[in-house]
Amino acid sequence: MAKPVISAEGLGIEFYRSRRRKLSLREMIFQRRTTHPRDTFWALRDVSFEVAKGEAVGLVGANGGGKSTLLKMIAGVLIPDEGSVKVRQGVAPLIELTGGFLGDLSARDNIYLTAGLHGLTKEQVDERFDDIVEFAGQQVKDGLDMPFRHFSSGMQVRLGFSVVTTLDEPIILVDEVLAVGDMAFKAKCYARMEGLLSEGRTLFLVSHSAGDLKRFCDRGLYLRQGQLVDDGPVEEVLKHYSDDNS
Amino acid sequence: MASAVRRLYENRRVLRIMVQRDLSVRYAKSFLGYLWTIIDPLAMSMIYFVVFVLIFQRAGHGYSPYFLFLLTGMLPWQWFNGSVTAGAKALQSEAKLVRSTRLPRELWVVRVIVAKGIEFLLSLPILVAATIIYLIVGQNDPTVLPHVNWQLVFIPLGMALQAVLLVGLGLLLAPIQVLVNDTQQVLRIVLRVMFYATPIIYLVNKAPGVLEKILWFNPMTGILEFYRAGFFDSEIRWGPVIVSVVVTAIVFVLGRLVFQRLEPAVLKEI
Repeated sequence: MAKPVISAEGLGIEFYRSRRRKLSLREMIFQRRTTHPRDTFWALRDVSFEVAKGEAVGLVGANGGGKSTLLKMIAGVLIPDEGSVKVRQGVAPLIELTGGFLGDLSARDNIYLTAGLHGLTKEQVDERFDDIVEFAGQQVKDGLDMPFRHFSSGMQVRLGFSVVTTLDEPIILVDEVLAVGDMAFKAKCYARMEGLLSEGRTLFLVSHSAGDLKRFCDRGLYLRQGQLVDDGPVEEVLKHYSDDNS
Repeated sequence: MASAVRRLYENRRVLRIMVQRDLSVRYAKSFLGYLWTIIDPLAMSMIYFVVFVLIFQRAGHGYSPYFLFLLTGMLPWQWFNGSVTAGAKALQSEAKLVRSTRLPRELWVVRVIVAKGIEFLLSLPILVAATIIYLIVGQNDPTVLPHVNWQLVFIPLGMALQAVLLVGLGLLLAPIQVLVNDTQQVLRIVLRVMFYATPIIYLVNKAPGVLEKILWFNPMTGILEFYRAGFFDSEIRWGPVIVSVVVTAIVFVLGRLVFQRLEPAVLKEI
């Protein structure tokens, strides 16, 4: 069997419970320590699993269960305090879709910038440019040379989704973005996701919609208060989750 | 260390895109964008020229012509000042991008230093212009004749040393800025002190006794030796240069260590 593309081993990350963990200089000088409670909690602990190439995995669990945190660690934008996560292929993260966009530049420039930040060359963007714009829809197409900040938030997210899903990365991480956009766009998103899956890409999906999870995923991981409590076929994992909440 | 450099090199295209993005935001808008780059150091040089040459009549505390002397210090200082201020904010101001892309985080700091470095290069034409004007004026008034000489070749060396210093400072400050609230305020004061602790408006050997030796430990002192030697009738003072190289190396290593150490905490906080 081929090596798993993602393997997590004893993954754990610890956060401060207090929102104000920022240090203030005054406290550092006068009290030689911070007065904020040093109260911490583990957003994730002892999480181990492996994902093979082409698998579609759905993350299930209540708010605060650690789903997004796990996704961020796989994306490499959080560093675990314990254990490790190895990701052996490139990742296209659909997290903070509009993060790379600059309000002052035109949508056109932004497409080149964001795709470039995710590793595409200018020629590759040239090739895909029409696709990206087409997918984002007519409104975006009409406003290509408008400053990006004049776009409605829906249009911004659509463009973001469009850019990130045209990347060639073999692993795709999706965090609740399917919930945005109007119905027409949602249908398009579904079609594109199915297309990506049929190309044999590996998918990691965070969603609260059982329908979405069943539709795209064959395997489910159930996170409860930072612990991985179930790992199995998505139907069973969803049932486990709903039993817990009934 | 070698692996960090390699990862940066692998991402050189991304670095170029980000620098272009910075510069296009600054320059694409208006021609004034470029003017701002040169107005600031020109205005500052002008002010000190008026104060020290016309009012205090103390031009002797720098090389002659004093205005050129000011400019050769003010331009690198502007790079230093801008890079430290923006470098400290490198992670915070791009929080959304840092959170959503998997690039080596050092890149965000390096990108600021490079963008400011290019602005510095773009400001050099005023130095060339000022030199030419003084060379012409100096034909009639030998007291303001610059002594342009082969030591100009040290300028790239000064830039390289300054770039390493700035990256080190950026790596040191960027994570601290995210974790400690008052960093910007403290930094503003420190930078003001640093301005006077750098031999921009005076020559380092005009400082009395032990103070001169203290100023050597400001790495910018040695770096300015490199920038200035080619314009005036003087030899490079190697003392401050050597101290500067050592201090720069220490700052760089320290910056790397602090950055690595604080990176996980920064990512949680950002």
